[in-house]
Amino acid sequence: MTPTVDNESTLLLHAYLDGELDPAHALELERQLASDPALAAERERIEALKRAIEERLPRVAMPPGLVGRIEAAIANAREHTSAPRWSLLRGWTAGRPSPRPSWAALAASVVVAMGLASSTTWLALEPRLSQRSVSAADEMVDMVVANHLRALMAPQVADVGSSDRHTVKPWFNGRVPEAPRVVDLSTEGFPLVGGRVDVLGRIPVPTLVYRRRQHVISLMAVPSDQASAVRTERRTIAGYNVLSWTQNGIVYLAVSDVAAADLEAFAKAFREAAA
Amino acid sequence: MVANEDQARFRSVVLPHLADAYALARWLTGNATDAEDVVQEACLRAFRGIRGFAGGNARAWLLTITRHAAFTWLSKNRSSALLVVDDLEETERRELSKGFPFEASQTPEAALIAKADANRLEAAIAQLPVQFREALVLRDVQGLDYREIAQVTKVPIGTVMSRLARARRRLVASIGRNETQSK
Repeated sequence: MTPTVDNESTLLLHAYLDGELDPAHALELERQLASDPALAAERERIEALKRAIEERLPRVAMPPGLVGRIEAAIANAREHTSAPRWSLLRGWTAGRPSPRPSWAALAASVVVAMGLASSTTWLALEPRLSQRSVSAADEMVDMVVANHLRALMAPQVADVGSSDRHTVKPWFNGRVPEAPRVVDLSTEGFPLVGGRVDVLGRIPVPTLVYRRRQHVISLMAVPSDQASAVRTERRTIAGYNVLSWTQNGIVYLAVSDVAAADLEAFAKAFREAAA
Repeated sequence: MVANEDQARFRSVVLPHLADAYALARWLTGNATDAEDVVQEACLRAFRGIRGFAGGNARAWLLTITRHAAFTWLSKNRSSALLVVDDLEETERRELSKGFPFEASQTPEAALIAKADANRLEAAIAQLPVQFREALVLRDVQGLDYREIAQVTKVPIGTVMSRLARARRRLVASIGRNETQSK
């Protein structure tokens, strides 16, 4: 017999599979799953559906030129609202609208991100990275998000693009002091995209790029003598989730616009695979 | 130079999430041309309101505007789609007391669902009532969490949960039904 949709257990089952249940409820549901074959069968179906959507549903692609058309429409809207057209528009809309954001836009994004960071101590940095330890944590998170954003806006998110960890790892040799641990998480739903070098403060750090559906996850690996994590916690800045943990002397910083639960799942999978 | 700042802010806040906004508009309107109109309109609104954006979740903010633009578009051009939505609220309430109509006979095995091909999935999602569709797309395609979906669709989290469960149950049933018919 199929459980009905309004059955509370069924609702909780969906939340459980979406990573939205707190540990106590999750445990309770796991007990229920073990004793209720109908609920367990429903779990299989929902998981199969979620997997089919993730793996086979075609992604909606943006039509080519959409960004340009939107920037043109906005420039046009501005022409009708702002008075001294010449001075305002120079350098911005004189020619074709630029398809990619300028450095000014990126700088603004950092300002936005910095404005949002709260003052709680999250990640304390050694003086080598920053002199001011209270805001250093915020600065670190901002830099992490800014590096991720910059990569998203670049022609490609990774400088070495490969799903083969034996290609990605050696690429870091000579570029950073220590090549990061690279693990294959494709079976967990996080295929490897490649790697790049980011700069946090003045320190080049290796960044691994993974994918979840169409979303990009950047994972920066900072030796803990350059950044010491106070505690593992997650933060949200401008819609990007940032998650940090320390493992084997490395502070890992994962940043992405995937749901917080998905980023948690990624961190868990990485920790287990890298253990 | 204030306007330049607005434009810079627009680029840093809105453009990184444009692909998600377009995808949502595409799923809600059902075709590429209308989706582009909706996204253009949403971006204009976002640009005009950029100074009011207090920071926080930029993606959820843009998706909220996009969804609003899509529903405005639907009410002008596809009022039947929204009429269905109103009826649906009634139906939902009735179903709450009775349980769901799709029952065991149409419940396929997980293995069958796992084999569903892309076209069938796409068609099944497109046929969902718009409220179920948006919950499903925001979660299973775009990966938003429940709190964000509640924010974007302006309903309580409990409603998000119930819509998501219903959407998935309908998809499961629809995949099972089509599979049986095609045999």
